[in-house]
Amino acid sequence: MSMNNNEKRHMKQSTKNRISNTVIYIILILMSIIWLIPFVSIVLQSFRIESTLQVGYVIPKQWGLDNYIKLFKETSFPIWYLNTLFIALIVALVQTLVVLSMSYTLSRLRFKGRKFLMNFMLVLGLFPGFLTMIVLYTVLKDLNMIMANAVPGLILVYVASSGMGYYISKGFFDTIPRSLDEAARIDGATRFQVFYQIIMPLSKPIVIYTILTAFLGPWGDFIFARYISNYNSSGMNVAVGLWSWLQKDTIAQKYTLFCAGGVIVAIPVTILFMCLQKYYVEGVTGGAVKG
Amino acid sequence: MATLKLTNVKKIYDNNVVAVHNFNLDIKDKEFIVFVGPSGCGKSTTLRMIAGLEEISEGTIEIDDEIVNDLQPKDRDIAMVFQNYALYPHLTVYENMAFPLRLKKNPKVSEDEIFNRVINAADILGITDYLMRKPKNLSGGQRQRVSIGRAMVRDSKVFLMDEPLSNLDAKLRNQMRAEIIELRHKIDSTFIYVTHDQTEAMTLGDRIVIMKDGYIQQVDTPQNVFDKPNNLFVAGFIGSPQMNFFDAKLSKEGEDYYVEVGEVKLLIDDKKRDILKEKDINEKDIILGIRPDHLKVSFEDNENTIKGKIIVNEMMGSEMHLHINVNNKQDIIVIVPTISLTKSQKEALQAGKEIDLEFDSKLIHLFDSETEENIIYKKEC
Amino acid sequence: MEKLSDLEYLKLTKAQKFFYRLKLLITGFPSWLLGLGKALLSFLKNIILNIKNEFLDIFLTFKNGDFKTKLSYLFMGFGSIARGQILRGLLFLIFEIVFIFYMISSGTYWLNKLMTLGTKGPQEVYNEKLDQYVMTYYDNSFKILLYGILTIIFIIAFIYTWRLNIKQNKISEAIIKSGKKLKSSKDDLRSLVDDQFHKTLLALPLTGIIVFTALPILFMILIAFTNFDANHNGYSNALFTWVGTSNINQLVTWTSGSSNFSATFGEILTWTLIWAFFATFTNYFLGIFVALMINKKGIMFKKLWRTILVMTIAIPQFISLLYVSKMFSNNGIINGWLMDWGIVGLDSRIQFWENPTLARIMVILINIWIGIPYLMLIATGILLNIPADLYESAKIDGASTLQQFQKITLPYMLFITGPYLLTSFIGNINNFNVIFLLTGGGPTNQAYTTSGGSAGYTDLLITWLFKITTVDSNYKLAAVIGIAVFVVCAAISLFVYNILPSMKNEEEFQ
Repeated sequence: MSMNNNEKRHMKQSTKNRISNTVIYIILILMSIIWLIPFVSIVLQSFRIESTLQVGYVIPKQWGLDNYIKLFKETSFPIWYLNTLFIALIVALVQTLVVLSMSYTLSRLRFKGRKFLMNFMLVLGLFPGFLTMIVLYTVLKDLNMIMANAVPGLILVYVASSGMGYYISKGFFDTIPRSLDEAARIDGATRFQVFYQIIMPLSKPIVIYTILTAFLGPWGDFIFARYISNYNSSGMNVAVGLWSWLQKDTIAQKYTLFCAGGVIVAIPVTILFMCLQKYYVEGVTGGAVKG
Repeated sequence: MATLKLTNVKKIYDNNVVAVHNFNLDIKDKEFIVFVGPSGCGKSTTLRMIAGLEEISEGTIEIDDEIVNDLQPKDRDIAMVFQNYALYPHLTVYENMAFPLRLKKNPKVSEDEIFNRVINAADILGITDYLMRKPKNLSGGQRQRVSIGRAMVRDSKVFLMDEPLSNLDAKLRNQMRAEIIELRHKIDSTFIYVTHDQTEAMTLGDRIVIMKDGYIQQVDTPQNVFDKPNNLFVAGFIGSPQMNFFDAKLSKEGEDYYVEVGEVKLLIDDKKRDILKEKDINEKDIILGIRPDHLKVSFEDNENTIKGKIIVNEMMGSEMHLHINVNNKQDIIVIVPTISLTKSQKEALQAGKEIDLEFDSKLIHLFDSETEENIIYKKEC
Repeated sequence: MEKLSDLEYLKLTKAQKFFYRLKLLITGFPSWLLGLGKALLSFLKNIILNIKNEFLDIFLTFKNGDFKTKLSYLFMGFGSIARGQILRGLLFLIFEIVFIFYMISSGTYWLNKLMTLGTKGPQEVYNEKLDQYVMTYYDNSFKILLYGILTIIFIIAFIYTWRLNIKQNKISEAIIKSGKKLKSSKDDLRSLVDDQFHKTLLALPLTGIIVFTALPILFMILIAFTNFDANHNGYSNALFTWVGTSNINQLVTWTSGSSNFSATFGEILTWTLIWAFFATFTNYFLGIFVALMINKKGIMFKKLWRTILVMTIAIPQFISLLYVSKMFSNNGIINGWLMDWGIVGLDSRIQFWENPTLARIMVILINIWIGIPYLMLIATGILLNIPADLYESAKIDGASTLQQFQKITLPYMLFITGPYLLTSFIGNINNFNVIFLLTGGGPTNQAYTTSGGSAGYTDLLITWLFKITTVDSNYKLAAVIGIAVFVVCAAISLFVYNILPSMKNEEEFQ
């Protein structure tokens, strides 16, 4: 027994390492397969033309682009797509401005009521956001911003409360030494100049992160879009539209269309995300854990 | 170019902590003032109030007879060097130094003028070779020079420095200290310098402001602070190694005053005696202070000595620092110059040996044991 | 309880230490509560004192002020205009005019109706021209409540501004007395990019939050005290009105059997908490585990593994979740494969979404699939920040790999991510997407359905809230559930906040 222990003790570090690494590789490969299956299969299914309903196999028996052609020619998908793209672009722009001013103010400026403001928003954040929808729906209805005209209404709803999502970028701003602000103020800069000449140039990762998340948000929003558009086809975004294709009475005709639509939505978004991944990671790891 | 006047300045934080109590100080034009004290004594807070980075709770600060309490930092015409340099990471050295000039309006500083001033400052500080580098590619000393340079180019009335050397290593610190002394003669400005290091304070300051717990302890020239400390705290804070203290008793016999420390009875010198007489002081408990190099090791059999045992002998080269235990209760330090010691004397000073120590009554300091104030030289401040 | 000294504590065994700290936590709770109460009391006292001081100050300013100040009590901004601060003065004055105009034109109307939420509902009225009875609509409870609240807020804002205007006069007088110059309108504007910069930056975001979040929430809290539902929609069928706490009573009066509102609520709440617990912690620990694997020295293709995982973050959840949900359906790929491999037959297909327990397990599992990549990213960031010398010193002290994880990695992670864990727990309580897109709340539960709400076994409070609103239009219950979600989240936050050291000091993270 002692012999055995001794052998174990003197077993080469590299051997030990090789064993554990092999185990890790196996786990990682298995995980990759599990993670990729849905994506691979949705792409494959989108090229399946022998039937439109859901089937129990992955590889199509007949291949073709019919689903994609149908998607753009015969459905409202292009409208939903443009709706979502338009919303996402505007929201990305405005929400970034809102979030950055909010987080910069709370991180760098000290003023009366700052603590109160932060607690106030903390408390507000504990209410389910959807609760506000009942009131907002009525208000938006009066402004004629629902159903077919849901797009401006949705933009308004997304942007208006976006200031509450300041935590992550505040966390980032908090890491910039305060003495930089002070030095700049002594050098003669106004608060505004400190903001755009000193802090902004140093905050590229978080600016890009904020734009990216603001842009991605509307693509995935279901709850508000569903409620405000109220199933009116010209006011829906892709999430509500594609969701409506998978309901009991539609899934048999629209399943492969859904797959094609999903691919069309996912590809540009994924490419964008992958390009800016570096900043996303920096934002998440830098800001998230501090918030 | 500028005088400063602080009148009853007070800083109270939101949580009702008072960081600075009634701070009064007149600073003359082109004077180099050093605020020194242990951390948390309020020295940095005071500096930041002068800079305008911290609100003044009570009292007024005047620069050139103008009350600046409500002025923004940028309107006070001050320059400041920060402890961690506060260089703008995204700007080159040149742009860092040009930054304050570019922000100036009416009159706007021309590009030529900016160039000249930056080059001139860089020249003085010896950083001309690094002008195109970003701060992260500089060493600590170079960064500190850039940060000083950025303050220099502005030609401001007051030059504030907040522990500028404390992030540097010991060797560099000594070098930069000398450079700052040189610099102040090149710049016609009033300097306020904050440090916790008494050596910096002594070497740099025209006058030193010693602070503790938000109160000024003493404002005076380095020499006076060293020779005539206002109280026990100043005596202990200034000078390294620290002053030694003994519990003692002041007694009066006829016209003469004596100090009794253990079995030693010292006759007070004439100068101190006259002052004591004038103040009409009788017998009382006191604390006797004496600097390590003012205690003398007695190699002959003298009567009026205290006995102690050497615990550690630190050989510093030109001198020895002896850590001595007196009466089994108190540790003191004595500095002995090595140059005049014979070999046998050196042997007598090794750890574990018993030695006798002599006092010179001209060199002792007397403090009231209750108030801890200097009985002889207490000055109101 | 008696507190042990440090040395006494150190002598305890591990178990004793644990129980000692547990006891400390429990016995400390009443005194903590007491402290909270005291703080609240002194807060109220402070407010009363402040109000007293405010009134005194208003009175004294009037008594000691010059005629400009005195006139400002009636005409806001008069003092400012008379002293040359035209811009400020005009803003004050315009605000007063708008306020008075609003109150006369409609404010008082809404205020009067607010107590009843309308008295005259829709009724058939004889129309002479048409010679028949026509449905005619009068009061609108919804609008009365909405504009009533707005009016009250407007009044409060006016009082605040009026007070501000008086303060302004007092300050101006003092400045003039001391011989200094007042700020000009130009100074005022300039300060908006400098010492008042926060006002500029916050103006828009805060307006948005107040109008689109705070006010609606206030409104919905009030709705919980009305009978606003499909049968009382406030306008076209019947008015709604104040009903006191009867909705909330429905929630808290517990009767046995699972066919009443409170029982349904209890069961859904229990599942919501179970879900939030598992969703948070499975992701957390597995995410760390995956991050450790990928970042281990000697593992190749780090970037590839990471990219594969991160794809799930990039692809909008409605695509991935909807698709995965269909993969597990009766006709889905998973059952297809299982049949191909002969594991199940056509009749014995696994009904992932029909069996309540299985459906619940599935949503947690699929949530892991969605959540691991995100946690992996966060964990990677933190792991790389753990000082390497900690591990080196632990190795020399004789710690095994497992011990290093236990004693260094995990405590460090927990400390840093404490606040994140709380946010993520709260987020999971409100995790609409995962549940709604995967199961839609199903499988349906008959017991739930009969008691006001078409909820199913996997429904969370938030999806239930969604259904009660969209399907049943039972707004009063939706409001009650919304408040309940708030109470649950607030209680959890408060509790965690009190036991987690890293939550307390914001500046510590700076």
